Amino acid sequence: MTTKTIKVNYLARVEGEGGLRVVVRNGVVTKAELSIFEPPRFFEAFLRGRAFSEAPDITARICGICPVAYQMSAVHAMEDALGVRVTGALRALRRLLYCGEWIESHALHIYLLHAPDFLGYAGAVDMAREHRALVETGLGLKQAGNAILTLLGGREVHPINVRVGGFYRMPSRRELAPLAERLERAREAALATVRWAAGLDFPERRHDYHFVALRHAAEYPFNEGRIVSSRGLDLSPAEFEDSFEEDHVERSTALHAHLKADGSSYLVGPLARYSLNFDRLSPLAQAAAREAGLGATCANPFQSIVVRAVEVLYACDEALRIIAAYEEPDHPSIPLTPRAGIGHAATEAPRGLLYHRYRLTEDGAIAEARIVPPTSQNQASIEADLKNFVGGWLDLPEEELRHRCEQTVRNYDPCISCSTHFLRLELDRG
Amino acid sequence: MHEASLMKGLMRQVEALAAAEGGRRVRHVAIWLGALSHFSPEHFTAHFVAAAAGTRAQGARLEITLSDDPSHPAAQDVVLESIEIEA
Repeated sequence: MTTKTIKVNYLARVEGEGGLRVVVRNGVVTKAELSIFEPPRFFEAFLRGRAFSEAPDITARICGICPVAYQMSAVHAMEDALGVRVTGALRALRRLLYCGEWIESHALHIYLLHAPDFLGYAGAVDMAREHRALVETGLGLKQAGNAILTLLGGREVHPINVRVGGFYRMPSRRELAPLAERLERAREAALATVRWAAGLDFPERRHDYHFVALRHAAEYPFNEGRIVSSRGLDLSPAEFEDSFEEDHVERSTALHAHLKADGSSYLVGPLARYSLNFDRLSPLAQAAAREAGLGATCANPFQSIVVRAVEVLYACDEALRIIAAYEEPDHPSIPLTPRAGIGHAATEAPRGLLYHRYRLTEDGAIAEARIVPPTSQNQASIEADLKNFVGGWLDLPEEELRHRCEQTVRNYDPCISCSTHFLRLELDRG
Repeated sequence: MHEASLMKGLMRQVEALAAAEGGRRVRHVAIWLGALSHFSPEHFTAHFVAAAAGTRAQGARLEITLSDDPSHPAAQDVVLESIEIEA
C-alpha cells in the first residue's frame, strides 16, 4: 500500500444553496429541476412539547427577513385553537407590524437582490459604485420598515414583543408620531420606486399561473381572509390541507407543494396577491400601478419587481392610515385560557401565503405543528417557469444562461434568493 | 447556516484531488480553521463526517488547526491544507 500526501492550501467556499438541473433533448427542454441543499431544520419537530405561548418566539427564528410572518401565522393559529379573537387597536397594530415587514423585506429584494439583475451587476455592492443613490433609496426604505419593527416588536430582527393574544407592550400615540414622519418620506420613496421599476427592461414572458392568496372583505390581505384562487378555490384557512399537499422530492431538502386534486402547481406571493386583490389596494397604490403600466392582474414574473414596489407603497400608505387612527387600547393583550384544540391560520408573508396548524393538549402544550412556507409552495411554479423559459436561451454562453436562470429563480424571491447568486447549473444536452 | 454548502464544496475538492492522483481512499485530511470562520473543531468534524459518508474520504482522520488570530488575512476562511491518499 502506498500513500501520498498532497499539499493544496485550498480555500473552501460556500458552493451554493441551490442547484438547477436542466435536461435538453433535441433542442427542447424536457426537465428543469431545482434542488435546495440547505439542510432541513426540523422546526415542526422541536415545537412539539413546548407551550403554545412559545410558538411566536420560536417560529420567528425560521427567517431573519420575515420573522413577523411566522409570528403572525403562529399567534392567529393559536388564538384559533384557544377560541379567541384579537380585535380593535391590537388587531390594527398587528397590521402595522406586518406593514413594517413588507417594507423592509420587499425593499431588500427590490434594491439589493433584484435590481442588480436588471442593471447588469453581480450584486448591490457592485451596483452602488455607479448607482449610489439607488442603493441609498433602497436602504432608506428598508430602514423605515425596520423602524416599525423596532418600535412595535422591540427590535428589528426577530421581534420579541409579539404574544398570543396581543403584545407585551403597546406604543403610545406620542411614540408613533416620529414614525409617521419617517413613513411619509418612505411613501414618497416608494412612489419613486414604482416609477423607477416601471422603466426597467422586462422580457415578455408570461405564465398561465394558478394564483393563490388570501382575500379579505375590505382590506388588502395581511392576517385575515379566505384562501382564494384565480381558478375558483375559496377556502377557510382550516380547509388548507384539504386542497393542498406537500411532497418530499429526493433531490431537494425543500418540500414541494401541489394541489391535491390533480397534482398541479400554483403560485403564492406578490403576483398572486396583487392579481387577486387589486381592488383592495389604496387609491394611491392603484393609481401608481396603473401609471406603471400594470393591469389589474400581472402574470409576468419579471414584473414582480414593480408589483413589490406597489406593495411597498401600499404598506407605507396603510401604516400611515393605521397610525392616524390609533387609540391606545386599555390592555396590551387579551386574557387566554389554555385548552385542547386545533388551530389554523394563513397570513401573507412578503413571499406569499404562510400556513400554520397546531394541535394543543389540555394544558396548552403543542402536540403537533405544521408549517407550510411560501417557498415550498412556489417550487413547482419556479421549475415550470424555468422549463418554459430556458428553451429560448439555450444558445447563450453558459455564464449568461446561468445568470438568466438565477434571475428567473430570483423573480420569486424564494428563501434562497440571496444564495441563488451561486446557483450550480448542470446542463444535460443529451 | 452555510456549513453544509461549504462542506459540499470542500468534499468535491477532496474527491477531485484524490481522483486525479488515482487515490482509492483518503486517509488523512488537514484543515485550518480561521478564527472568524464560525467553526469550532467539533462542529467542523460533525459536518465533515456527514459529508464524507459514502465518498473516498469516509473514515479519514481529520487534523484541525484552529487559528486564534482574528487579523489573519484568511481569518474568515476554512483552508484545506493537505490530504493523504492511499493509492
